[in-house]
Amino acid sequence: MELIKIENLEKVYQDNGVPVHALHTLSLNVNQGEFTAIAGPSGSGKTTLLNIIGALDKPTNGTVYFEGVNLLEKSKRELSSLRLHKLGFIFQAYNLIPVLTAMENIEFSMMLLGVSEKERRERAMKAMEELEIAELAHKRPNEMSGGQQQRVAVARAIVNNPPIVLADEPTANLDSVTAHNLIDIMEKMNEEKNITFIFSSHDRQILDHARRIVFLKDGHIEEDVHK
Amino acid sequence: MLFTLAWRNIWRNTRRSLIILTSIVVGLAAMIFMEGLARGLMRQTLENQLGAHVAHIQIHKRGFNDNKVVQNFMVNSDSILSVLPQYGAIKTFSERTIAFGLLSSATNSSGVSIVGIRPSQEEKVTTIKRSLIEGRYLSGEPREIVLSKRLSESLNIGLGDRVVAMASALDGKIGSEVFRVVGIYHTSNSSFDKMHIFIPMQNAQEMLHAGSQTAEVAILAGSIDSVQTLKNNLEKKLGSDYEVLSFYDLVPSLVKQIEVTDQMMIVYYLIIGVAMIFGIINTMLMSVFERIHEFGVLKAMGMKESKLFSMVVIEAFLLGVVGTLTGTIIGISITLVLQKTGLNFASFAEGLSSWGFASIVYPLMDYSSVMTNVMVILFICILAAMYPAYRAVKLEPINAIRYV
Ligand SMILES: Nc1ncnc2c1ncn2[C@@H]1O[C@H](COP(=O)(O)OP(=O)(O)OP(=O)(O)O)[C@@H](O)[C@H]1O
Ligand SMILES: [Mg+2]
Repeated sequence: MELIKIENLEKVYQDNGVPVHALHTLSLNVNQGEFTAIAGPSGSGKTTLLNIIGALDKPTNGTVYFEGVNLLEKSKRELSSLRLHKLGFIFQAYNLIPVLTAMENIEFSMMLLGVSEKERRERAMKAMEELEIAELAHKRPNEMSGGQQQRVAVARAIVNNPPIVLADEPTANLDSVTAHNLIDIMEKMNEEKNITFIFSSHDRQILDHARRIVFLKDGHIEEDVHK
Repeated sequence: MLFTLAWRNIWRNTRRSLIILTSIVVGLAAMIFMEGLARGLMRQTLENQLGAHVAHIQIHKRGFNDNKVVQNFMVNSDSILSVLPQYGAIKTFSERTIAFGLLSSATNSSGVSIVGIRPSQEEKVTTIKRSLIEGRYLSGEPREIVLSKRLSESLNIGLGDRVVAMASALDGKIGSEVFRVVGIYHTSNSSFDKMHIFIPMQNAQEMLHAGSQTAEVAILAGSIDSVQTLKNNLEKKLGSDYEVLSFYDLVPSLVKQIEVTDQMMIVYYLIIGVAMIFGIINTMLMSVFERIHEFGVLKAMGMKESKLFSMVVIEAFLLGVVGTLTGTIIGISITLVLQKTGLNFASFAEGLSSWGFASIVYPLMDYSSVMTNVMVILFICILAAMYPAYRAVKLEPINAIRYV
């Protein structure tokens, strides 16, 4: 099933009055259940593309369909609600809420959805067990290693069972062993829960985990490799 | 969960939160204390003046208050005295003659208000007997006089000395009499002290050739709140031959002063309130700007604007709750302690006493106005958080996430 359909995408930033073509003539389809990587050198447009797919940014031209819905026609409020219900985010800098424990961070995304406290506890606990981080439940982010924080971030992203999780360079701050483990658990979640993952990286070895790699160069797709 | 989050966020920057908390605590405690002090000072001043002489209600022949001469005495006060016991609101009353005249010693003389009283009545209405610092009160014996320390000093006399009182009598002649000083009083109101001397009613009436006529009946009500009703009832009963005056009519300047003090308190609150608003806006803005990145993440996750807004407002509200709670406890404690011990203004006492203020002031706690202050400050906290919360909500997640 087609989850995301991008047609003729163009994104132009204004940098002090100078137009910067971050993306141009880019078309891309992503199906439910994919485990896809976006690759490319620095400045090639990976973050820009993920932000547009994640309804955080608007394209200058072109259309983006999410589950058949044209995102360009949606208001800010509707996009916010879409992110809440349909998307999970994993950031390079983990970005957990520093004053909340691991458990509370995971609960937080359910709280935003209005899930009852009891159910939140159960589901957060279950997610932590699946990701083998149950022992971190009552630790705060500053008491955890980067790899541990990023696992909590994965748990936070998947706990509401969104159709898709977007991860912009999730392993960039991690050492290579931790990075591979993290991609492994993302892959596990993808297989077990059929959650679509799109992640970006410029690390060749990390990219090898993906079943599909979209290579960007200068704002357009240079190569689209399905394994 | 929002409350937990807000609470923990407050303590991320302990020093900043403590600074703003301190300003709320000090502000509120000062408000409570200052209000108690002003209230106590005013209440005391009022009670002192009413207690020393004015009482709650005075009845005269119509016109006496504007022109205090013997010709305006009440010819037959019995009709009044006989109806007063019917009123349950009346605690006690005392009949007086009043005449302006001259009091002379061997060396000096002074203009005074000569008050003729029946000691057994008068001692229940006023505090003069309790204000004696030397000698005793009038005993009922003729030609005794009680005057103030201040007057005795300017006349150079002491207990047992003789003085001559003179005043113009009913028939236009000058009446005079010799008195022996039996008691010397002192109140906190120096202008009252310099003016008022007390002699037996009998002597006063003889001196003024006034027969059995008297100037006024001073009435003390059971409670200060019942004064207005009592006045209205007495007015209706006694008719237009008499004037029934409450202390509101008799010492309007004092009543006015109390009103002005209340208004001054409002100005004072406004200043504190405005300072607090800016303090809180500043604190909350700093804390929002420090967390731009974090708010960006929350917005990216799809947190509703209303929720994000509440989160910031709740933080300010919790600061307010902690601040007002502590401030109230401190403010009330200080006020209650001083309500017992009193606050000594002896160093300013000379200045104060000419206004009729006591030199030891007992603040007066008023819990309902404390409640109002607390509510207002909580409201201020919420109000002051609006703008910072708005700024947090208006962040674009994409810019905020990039922000480092
Ligand atoms: N807000 C912006 N204003 C101006 N130019 C921007 C802005 N954001 C991105 N760009 C430019 O757009 C291009 C694509 O940037 P983008 O961040 O998408 O690349 P990237 O592939 O994610 O790079 P990296 O690997 O360094 O993260 C770059 O040339 C960048 O300088
Ligand atoms: Mg990037």
